[in-house]
Amino acid sequence: MTKTLLFGLSLGMNWVVADSARAADKPVATPAPVVSAAEKEGKVLVYSTTDSAAAAPLLKDFSVLHPKITVEYNDMNSTEVYNRFVSEVAAGGGSADLLWSSAMDLQIKLANDGYAQEYRSLEAANLPDWASWKNEALGTTFEPITFVYNKRLLKPEEVPQSHAELVKLLKNNPERFKGKVTCYDPERSGIGFMLLAQDAGTDPNFADTIKTYGKVAVKLYTSTGAMLEKILSGEHLIGFNMIGSYAIGKQRKDPNLGVVYPKDYTLVMSRIAVIPKVAKHPNAGKVFLDYLLSARGQEIIANKAALFSIRSDVQGEYTASSLNKALGSSLKPIPVNASLLVYLDQSKRLAFLKQWQEALGTR
Amino acid sequence: MRGIRWFRVLTVLITASAVLLPLGIVLYQSVLDAPFFQPSAKLSTSAFVFVFSDPDFHRAFATTVLVAAGMTLIAVPLGSILAFLLVRTDLPGRRVLEPVALIPIFLSPVVLAFGYVVSAGPVGFFTLWFKESFGSAPWNVYSLGSLILIAGLTHIPYVFLYTSSALRALGADLEEAARVTGAGAARVALTVSLPMVRPAILYSAVLVFFLGFELFGLPLILGDPGGLLVLSTYLYKLTNRLGVPSYQLMAVVAVSIIAIAFPLVYLQRRLIGASARFVTVGGKGLSPRPLRLGRWRWPALASVLVWLAATVLLPLSGVFLRAFVSSWGEGIRLSQVMTLENFRELLDYPNLVRGILNTLGIAIFGGALAVAWYALIGLAGHRWQSGWSRVLDYLVMVPRGMPGLVAGLAFLWVFLFVRPLSPLRSTLFSVWLAYSVVWLAYGMRLISSALIQVSPDLEEAGLTVGASRGQVIREVTVPLIRFGLIGSWLLVFMIFVREYSTGVYLLGPGTEVVGSLIVSLWATGAIDIVAALAVVNVVLVAAGMGVALRLGVRLHG
Repeated sequence: MTKTLLFGLSLGMNWVVADSARAADKPVATPAPVVSAAEKEGKVLVYSTTDSAAAAPLLKDFSVLHPKITVEYNDMNSTEVYNRFVSEVAAGGGSADLLWSSAMDLQIKLANDGYAQEYRSLEAANLPDWASWKNEALGTTFEPITFVYNKRLLKPEEVPQSHAELVKLLKNNPERFKGKVTCYDPERSGIGFMLLAQDAGTDPNFADTIKTYGKVAVKLYTSTGAMLEKILSGEHLIGFNMIGSYAIGKQRKDPNLGVVYPKDYTLVMSRIAVIPKVAKHPNAGKVFLDYLLSARGQEIIANKAALFSIRSDVQGEYTASSLNKALGSSLKPIPVNASLLVYLDQSKRLAFLKQWQEALGTR
Repeated sequence: MRGIRWFRVLTVLITASAVLLPLGIVLYQSVLDAPFFQPSAKLSTSAFVFVFSDPDFHRAFATTVLVAAGMTLIAVPLGSILAFLLVRTDLPGRRVLEPVALIPIFLSPVVLAFGYVVSAGPVGFFTLWFKESFGSAPWNVYSLGSLILIAGLTHIPYVFLYTSSALRALGADLEEAARVTGAGAARVALTVSLPMVRPAILYSAVLVFFLGFELFGLPLILGDPGGLLVLSTYLYKLTNRLGVPSYQLMAVVAVSIIAIAFPLVYLQRRLIGASARFVTVGGKGLSPRPLRLGRWRWPALASVLVWLAATVLLPLSGVFLRAFVSSWGEGIRLSQVMTLENFRELLDYPNLVRGILNTLGIAIFGGALAVAWYALIGLAGHRWQSGWSRVLDYLVMVPRGMPGLVAGLAFLWVFLFVRPLSPLRSTLFSVWLAYSVVWLAYGMRLISSALIQVSPDLEEAGLTVGASRGQVIREVTVPLIRFGLIGSWLLVFMIFVREYSTGVYLLGPGTEVVGSLIVSLWATGAIDIVAALAVVNVVLVAAGMGVALRLGVRLHG
């Protein structure tokens, strides 16, 4: 257990209090003309995959900072963000002022297809190099991809600390773990596909790893909710490629959930923000983007929404800096760049899925 | 005479455009090789080739047909018998049982299915208790058999609504005659009452079978762990398999389901045939006395209670339990995890109250408005010897051929690309229209089957004494089909309470509904809050029904 990277809940709560006091002092670096133009626009329309409850503290603080700009916040799933946006652009009636989505590949595709407008955000200077692409697509969070397990049913010494240990655990106990392991279905979930494709590029024994998943008849889902719930109930024991922010949100409510940051490599995903060319309130979009990237916004992202701050100067439990301290070079952020487009190529994607199905024995 | 013709033609035209706009886009999309709005899109059969040569499609299609047929075979006989028992007999407690029996309709299927997982899943509380008591639990909620059984049992209320509305309007003379000659309740039901309401039963059979193709929540929750794939969950693969959503592939699946509607409607028309045989609302108003079940009274009640236990108590207890605990499953003592935290958190959820109010508003008023429209369509086709009425029969059926995922997109496109409609896109009207079109057949068929029962003599009597056609419709026909109208409103109300996917792209800040809140909570893993919301939902709707019944909305004659 001691090996597991589990941070104390009480510690986290202290940070919230201490940090929000300091955060309020840090100004957001948006040029004054942009702010005044944004206030004239009066409104920013956001399409986002971050649910309203998680975003509420952000929106509240933003309205304190910019009372003249109303945020119209639409939360939906990542496919819906994409569908709605491209359809609206095609119809020519304008669309959102900011797209904020966890579907990194689709966001990069939109930028690559020329839908995004360039904005040299002063706040972007605080981002790591891999997190911004051509000033069109910017990473805003630093969310580790974790193992999640049931603490009641998995003994502390059994808990795997790396992908290799997970494979070993499953190989040694095939009967016990049969049907007890879970992950996103890469065929039906975009995020599931992206994470598995990243595994393929990072895990030296990928072929063997997925074969092992197949041997224990890994259970595939499309929704985080179903997976977390079933791990907690004991129907499943362990899940991999789970988005850490959701797992920690759940863990805060039910301490039976264990979260592991794999030691060999922990993938990190980032919600990407894009300002569309067709934005009707482009300045308000810029102000909102700057706010998301600012120390003030990132404090809230880290400590109120548990989405993990991407800025190294933001302190707290759910931040890039604390993860960096604990995990160092085993952190593998998924870069915000054109490499994400590789698997949007039909034949490559289908070939990869075929490999997966063959390893699982479903084809 | 001129007036009535205009009314008919106008109704057909309006309905046709409401149905054909979204449908036309989907059809057109299916024969393109890219999104229809992309300039590079070309006519092509490639989407059909891709889908039809995909083994997953065949697998999903076969499973879907099996599920649809199985659930129809379960729901139709049991639903008709249930209707007879509750409407025509002296079954104890029938007034109380009726609203309870309807719960499976208005509960979101995802929540319903999840309720089964919490109670009867591999580590469900009922399963664990059963294992402790008897050593093992011999069922698996994730099997195809369970899916069919659960789908069948939870669709009984649809058949019930159809059959009971028709039974209520059934004159008592035929049953009386049978009874005088000494027939028992079962014999009266099987040889007189149910055959006389055959159109209603047939409509419900066709509609339930067709619903089987659209089924999403149940197979998503109950089918995923066993790898069961149905057409609606297969659509997920099509949105993701090529990286970006492939509308043409999704459209092909929708077109395949729509194609099924045609033989179904043809069959339905053949089987109902000459509607004169089903005229049961005649001149002689004899108010029916309930048939005495005699010694079958208690066994009949017991069977109804067993069904209620399986379709309402089992899933609902799971949902309620989940709402009041912080954790559940293997190794948990429920007494130690009780909490009200989920409700407290739910109350903090942004826009919760607005979502609930929107939902109730669209269900109550939107539902009534939809029924008014459906009634106009029904009346337009009523006693209209014309090819148009056949067109109407097919027309109402096809929108539900679009699964929720596709219907949602289709309506977004209608409101985006049909310019005169664009300003309405972000209002609740667009959501209402989408809901009303997709559920057209379901609300309308209740009215059609009521219309079939009305004897032409009554309307002709009105005409003879000098009333105009319009007057006859208003003062004779409409009052006579009131049970059909009430039944239709009830069904539409409950469907609109839980509906979501059709409106998914039309909803936005200000127009949230409970369904969208459930989905966004579910996506982040907040199933505990979803359960709490479902509890609030059940309590609200149950209370609403209670108040409505007290205020004199009478389900009974």
